[in-house]
Amino acid sequence: MTTFLNILIVGLMLGGIYGLVSMGLNLIFGVIRIVNFAQGELVMLGMYGAYLSWFLLGLDPYVSSIIVVPGLFVIGVVIQRFVLQPLQNEPFMQIFATFGLLMLFQNLVLAITGGTGYSVRSEVSSTVINLGDINISVARLVVFITVIVVALGLNWFVMNTMPGKAIRAVTQDRRSARLMGINVERAFMLTFGAGAALAGLAGVLLAPIYTLSPQIGGNFILAAFAVVVLGGLGSVWGAFFGGFIIGLVEAFSGYYFDPALKHAIWFLIFIAVLVVRPGGLFGIAGAEEMGLREQD
Amino acid sequence: MSKTETLTMAAPEKPKGKARVTTLRTELVRIAGIALVIGAAIALFRSDPFVLNMMAYTFLFGALASSWNIIGGFGGQFSLGHGVFFAIGGYTTANLYFHWQISPWLSLVPAMILAMTVAVLVSWPTFRLKGPFFAIATLALNEVAFVLANYFDVLTGGARGMMLPFKAGLENMVFTSRLPYALIMFGFLIVCLIVCAFVLRSRLGYYLQAVHIDEDAARAVGIDVLKVKLTGMAVSAALTGIGGSLFAMYLRFVDPATLLSIQDIGVKFLLISLIGGVGTLYGPLAGALLIIPLEFYLRGSLSGVVPGANLLVLGALLVIFSLFMRRGVVGAAQTLWAKFRRDDHE
Repeated sequence: MTTFLNILIVGLMLGGIYGLVSMGLNLIFGVIRIVNFAQGELVMLGMYGAYLSWFLLGLDPYVSSIIVVPGLFVIGVVIQRFVLQPLQNEPFMQIFATFGLLMLFQNLVLAITGGTGYSVRSEVSSTVINLGDINISVARLVVFITVIVVALGLNWFVMNTMPGKAIRAVTQDRRSARLMGINVERAFMLTFGAGAALAGLAGVLLAPIYTLSPQIGGNFILAAFAVVVLGGLGSVWGAFFGGFIIGLVEAFSGYYFDPALKHAIWFLIFIAVLVVRPGGLFGIAGAEEMGLREQD
Repeated sequence: MSKTETLTMAAPEKPKGKARVTTLRTELVRIAGIALVIGAAIALFRSDPFVLNMMAYTFLFGALASSWNIIGGFGGQFSLGHGVFFAIGGYTTANLYFHWQISPWLSLVPAMILAMTVAVLVSWPTFRLKGPFFAIATLALNEVAFVLANYFDVLTGGARGMMLPFKAGLENMVFTSRLPYALIMFGFLIVCLIVCAFVLRSRLGYYLQAVHIDEDAARAVGIDVLKVKLTGMAVSAALTGIGGSLFAMYLRFVDPATLLSIQDIGVKFLLISLIGGVGTLYGPLAGALLIIPLEFYLRGSLSGVVPGANLLVLGALLVIFSLFMRRGVVGAAQTLWAKFRRDDHE
């Protein structure tokens, strides 16, 4: 029973990480209908941002989010304005462009750091809470709580504020939204910036957990795709629950089958869901095709 | 993107002015011309191992990008999972040679058939997805293949890989000089170009282009979309499998990190195609002629100083081409040519 509970906790904590990483991807996809292959690299940039602020300013990684998150927001806005906006309604070229950004960021960091693995320390990162036989790492618990707060906050923002309503309007019908006086381009820039900022937040919170390497984004991006597709494209709660599903699948299959195969197992589940229900478990049916619909 | 724009992107010869769709005969003559030029180049550099090595890679990747172009360019299905078929070819030949000393020339056939079969089986469900979702699913397939290749070490040698014994001889496809390899890759390139020309000027090619431009319209005029996609994928994967076999024999070493690398294999095919011109017959070759020597140069001169410099440049090129030269080098040349001819007539 304790083993089971421990695996459950590990799975939930892992799910929190995956969920947090996927939030930004899902936001960007849900609104702009762009599949951002470079999202994992934005997380990676967030991690290196945390390292830099720790190295240069001596900031605790959790505190450094006040610098890193706005920084990533700006990067996101720039990407949207200068790379993706010219490619609106060209899904194929978007694949190329975001993949190019992936290679660009990854190898830029590799070129600068020379491939040395860094790690960021925080007071909290090594603390572990013991509840009887169950151990919970505080750093992971912080991620877990953050993903809940972010999901609730994002949901509130989209449902109750004017900019949030504008974003939803743009998602549903760009042309009508434009006729209602919404600046579609600005809504997109805001959204991509917010998606990148969420990636930055994820990066900051994950920095104390992982060893930093330029290729680390690759570990997150496929997990994030799996989460987003599983949960539902463009639905806030989809990314939330999808993250936990993938986390639990990984934890349990790693324990009961073979740790070497855990990725293969959730990839297969991912492909199966993608094929059987492309809209995802919580998604709107047909959402997967909306990116290909002509809009202006 | 508007549908008319997609059309110009997909159509290999832009029907401007009096320009018309070329016949298969014209294309075969052009391919023969290309073969002559490349043959002369090989003869010229026959004693320079560095250039021959570069040529072997250029021809191989030109051929592989051309194979990718059948389903990715003509058919508009942006597969990121061609590394899987590449690896299947490589592992099939490596295993047959390693365990049973079967000549790689013979094992090209099972490699081809196996790659084709797997391609059809995995594409059947994934072809339900469109655009970016197809790309994500194929990317995930590549990742599954990577995990499995590491896991089943009986078949693949696991993460350590398989070193193939060095027994020089024509029947083993193992040579002491680089010249025969360059010639083999050259032959493979010409075969791929001829197959592409045949596909492009066949019913299948026109169907694929119709599916690319508008899948619903294609279905409405009675094209069996799934069958067309699967056939295109099968042809493309079969050639990719052969390429994997040749690559394995050239390196005499196979491991998952090399064969299933996303950036060095899977994405390389579409990167080369984009830079040369997606959906054009000679675009992938043009792309390979530009990219592979550039990579050799960057790797040789910069990578020692700046790690990852070659991929950094490729990433930047990818962004720049997707923004400003969507139809690649060949597309840009065609536009210029059409403009020039129009000016000429006026």
